Amino acid sequence: MNTALDRSTIPDRRFSRYLVFSLIVVLSVGTLTARMFYLQIANGTEYSAISTRQRTVLEAIPAPRGLIYDRNGRLLVDNVPTFAVKIRPADLPNTQRDAVVARLAALLSTDPSEINAAIDGNLGSAFDLVRVAQDVDQSTAQLISEAGYDLPGVEVAVEARRRYTDGPLMSQLLGYTGPVSAEQLPDLRAKGYLPDDLLGKMGLEAQYETELRGTYGSESVARDATGRRTQVLQTVQDAVPGASLTLTIDTRAQKEAEKALKWAMQKIGMTRGVVIAMNPQTGEILAMVSLPTYDNNKFARGISAADYAKLLKNKDKPLLNHAIQAHYAPGSTYKLVAGTGALADRKITPATRVMTKPFLKLGDTKFWEWNHRGWGGCDIYCGFGHSSDTFFYQLAGMLGIDRLGYWAKQYGFGEPTGVDLPSEVAGIVPTNEWKQDALGSEIFPGETYQAGIGQGYDAVTPLQLINAYAALANGGTLYQPQIVRDIVGPDGTVIRPFAPKVLHKLKVKSNVLRVMRNAARSTVTLRHTYNLVDLPIKVAGKSGTAEFGRPDAQGRLPYSSFFVGFTPKDPVNGSFDNHDSKLVVMAFAYDSRTKGNAATEIVKYFFQLHYGIKKDYRLPALLERGNFYSQD
Amino acid sequence: MGVIRAEPVRVTDWAAKSVGAAWRAFDLQLTTFAGLLVAIGLVMAYTNSVENGVSPLDAGTTFTRGLMWAGIAAVTFILATAFDYRWFKTLSWPVYGLQLGLLGLTLLIGDGVGGSARWINIGPLTFQFSELAKILMIIVLAQYLASRQLKLDSLRTILGACVLVGPPLVLVMLQPDLGTSLVFAAILAGMLWMSGASLLWLGALAAGVVAMIPIAWTYILRDYQKERLTSFLNPTPDITGSGYQLYQSQIAVGSGGWFGRGLTNGTQAQGDFLPVQTTDFVFSVLAEELGFIGGVVLFVLFALLLWRVLVAGWRSRDPFGTMFAAGVASMVLFQLVVNVGMVMGIMPITGIPLPFVTHGGASLVSMAIGLGILQSINIRQTRAEW
Repeated sequence: MNTALDRSTIPDRRFSRYLVFSLIVVLSVGTLTARMFYLQIANGTEYSAISTRQRTVLEAIPAPRGLIYDRNGRLLVDNVPTFAVKIRPADLPNTQRDAVVARLAALLSTDPSEINAAIDGNLGSAFDLVRVAQDVDQSTAQLISEAGYDLPGVEVAVEARRRYTDGPLMSQLLGYTGPVSAEQLPDLRAKGYLPDDLLGKMGLEAQYETELRGTYGSESVARDATGRRTQVLQTVQDAVPGASLTLTIDTRAQKEAEKALKWAMQKIGMTRGVVIAMNPQTGEILAMVSLPTYDNNKFARGISAADYAKLLKNKDKPLLNHAIQAHYAPGSTYKLVAGTGALADRKITPATRVMTKPFLKLGDTKFWEWNHRGWGGCDIYCGFGHSSDTFFYQLAGMLGIDRLGYWAKQYGFGEPTGVDLPSEVAGIVPTNEWKQDALGSEIFPGETYQAGIGQGYDAVTPLQLINAYAALANGGTLYQPQIVRDIVGPDGTVIRPFAPKVLHKLKVKSNVLRVMRNAARSTVTLRHTYNLVDLPIKVAGKSGTAEFGRPDAQGRLPYSSFFVGFTPKDPVNGSFDNHDSKLVVMAFAYDSRTKGNAATEIVKYFFQLHYGIKKDYRLPALLERGNFYSQD
Repeated sequence: MGVIRAEPVRVTDWAAKSVGAAWRAFDLQLTTFAGLLVAIGLVMAYTNSVENGVSPLDAGTTFTRGLMWAGIAAVTFILATAFDYRWFKTLSWPVYGLQLGLLGLTLLIGDGVGGSARWINIGPLTFQFSELAKILMIIVLAQYLASRQLKLDSLRTILGACVLVGPPLVLVMLQPDLGTSLVFAAILAGMLWMSGASLLWLGALAAGVVAMIPIAWTYILRDYQKERLTSFLNPTPDITGSGYQLYQSQIAVGSGGWFGRGLTNGTQAQGDFLPVQTTDFVFSVLAEELGFIGGVVLFVLFALLLWRVLVAGWRSRDPFGTMFAAGVASMVLFQLVVNVGMVMGIMPITGIPLPFVTHGGASLVSMAIGLGILQSINIRQTRAEW
């Protein structure tokens, strides 16, 4: 064997080749050691820091959001724990994204595109959590948590969801919370909001966002590569729960108002209406119903795009609180302004008789009495009581548009009432100045006539209207309507107790208002409001019908009806000579087109319910639908 | 040549059966260093098995499977030591056939990630035959180069070796397994170098390989392979994409410091920031948990092992032994440098295991066979017949 090992023929290269190979070994190991030294010793601190940084995060501890109660302590909003599924994009490797999203979508029974949309719509950095599903049921949440390692970057979080006890009944008032939007985020970030945070979007949730939110705490948390929390290292700051709100709203009155309005709407086939009840002595809103409404619980659970689009498309705008966020021509209810103004400016006295006629002529234009007849010579009780148009055309003419505008503003028209609800509109009080600004010309005399009876340019919100009558009922104080009574801190102490807020005192003698209250009573007693006088309680008030929109084939316009009424403190024996009323109620029936004044029927039904009147005075025949000429 | 054999011949004839003499020729140091490396591998398997709620000692964990493979490897090692390596000289062609057959079989029935064919399932176990193929390749090449001892200056010797390596290399590339193909190439290069082949022709061959690189880049390598090969060159890697592993493993190594965070305390490892931490990236766990000192111990063990392998080759009077040792040394060195270099970001990402330490049965058993044959060579040295 081994004949090949003939030393004479083997090239003598072994030594040099072994030497070189050994050198390579030494060099290689040396290089590796040097590199290890560079990483671990020379730059070790830096890498340790990166390691610590990527494994520990400062996470916010959400503060429990404040609760909301009605004036009697009934819970209107609380928080219930729910499961939300979130994704931290940084922990979701790009290569696995499609698979993870598909798997998650299957578990949540949604479409992968919705999850992708949520991830792509992420407002924060790749290290911020993105909510991809909320209100996930417990078994699904459990499945997703357990699938942990197959779903990198996915977390199941327990979150508090808002639960609105009465849903649609209060949705317009309470509003809802929703995700922070892209435009809001930069500002909100500075205030400690997270990109996946919820905040009040509408109603009181938005108005009292600061109070309700509380102060978020923070804690440093260790996490693994998939973003799962492995342990809480330290609480940096405790969360302070949000303050609670006690509303002026009386749930019982709210339900009565909704019941009365729904009854009429269903009877008529009407789609839009408002009922408000207030305490005129304080400006407290006892009930405020705007229909159609929506269920804010749907928003709390994360409303689907389809449902939201449906709400937006509805022509009656369910998301709008029509009591404050829309204005309408007030019709004859506005005659309060001309009546008060004419008396206060001494254009008439309570005894002055003004001739009412079938029509007034101004140039070639006829300004018709609503019954095309008139009542002959009328004092203020007759004029207001029968709601004579020709009577108030003349009063408006005596005052002139600017003086009429002055008294409208005395009653609070033309600017927001300042109620503690968001997005209130101002309405319009026409004056020469206003028309110059808005339309570039002076008011014409005919427009002054129209303004006197709440038509033409006049536009008010239902809340402005009731607040004006509240000032009448309380003897001349215009209060800022309020919907939150007390703000109560998390420890139970009252942070802000209730105090009525006076906007101003009407610049009018008290006897003028006493006359106007009795004139409002005569509206009832003269049976302009049908059988309202038959109720076992005393009601004073004013109805109104306001035309709007485009005329039909016969030249008739659609119309809405109003009624504002109030009772004395002692509703049975009290007198409207006093200004002690505790309850003023208004109803607005949009596009009602009924034989009688629909709003009056609504308020009547509300009084029946509210005062527990057993006998039913409602007159359903008046609610017959059809295009009748309005009878103020 | 004269000066080469300085030490006395120990075993004249296996048939003489001087067990004591054979035992003296058995390289205990080589076995010890390899055993220590395996032990380090098991420690890493243990620390990687620590997970919430699961004991590392439970059946089916990385650690218990590692123990099982270590046992199999020990038996394989003993059998390979007992086997008379000289049979390989006669069986060289059948060995070559076996090698090609195993690689072909892998392509046909093998499983792998994403349509690749890397390993074969044998009952509950999986086995990567390309690991074994490396050892078989060394056997075949050693026999070939030994048989051409007298013609080392001829180009034919070098080309012949290249032709032998060609088919298995292509079969491995088809799996596709870029890392193992590179190991084949490294074995070839190392053995040619140690064979004493002509420097001139080796230089020409090297130049040819370099010239081939652009062609291979354009026509052979797949996109993900290119991405992995180059991602280590990128100073700002896409840390959510292909650079993620590299970034995390550098953080792991870097945060180890002098003494490491301690076994099972590595936050990179235990927090699952490290990908494939039981296999290709096992060194990053070691560096994080055992620190610079642990890494140096590992390197020293590898250096000592390589020394013993080279010594075995140096002592062998049989050119086959010399060549075989050269092949094993080339393979171990190449895998060490590429694997650890990759983990520390100075080598491209290729799926090359760290010998002895990486968790994986095929790699360990193949190494056991390789070292067993070396011991067989050690204890069966015949007296030089001059």
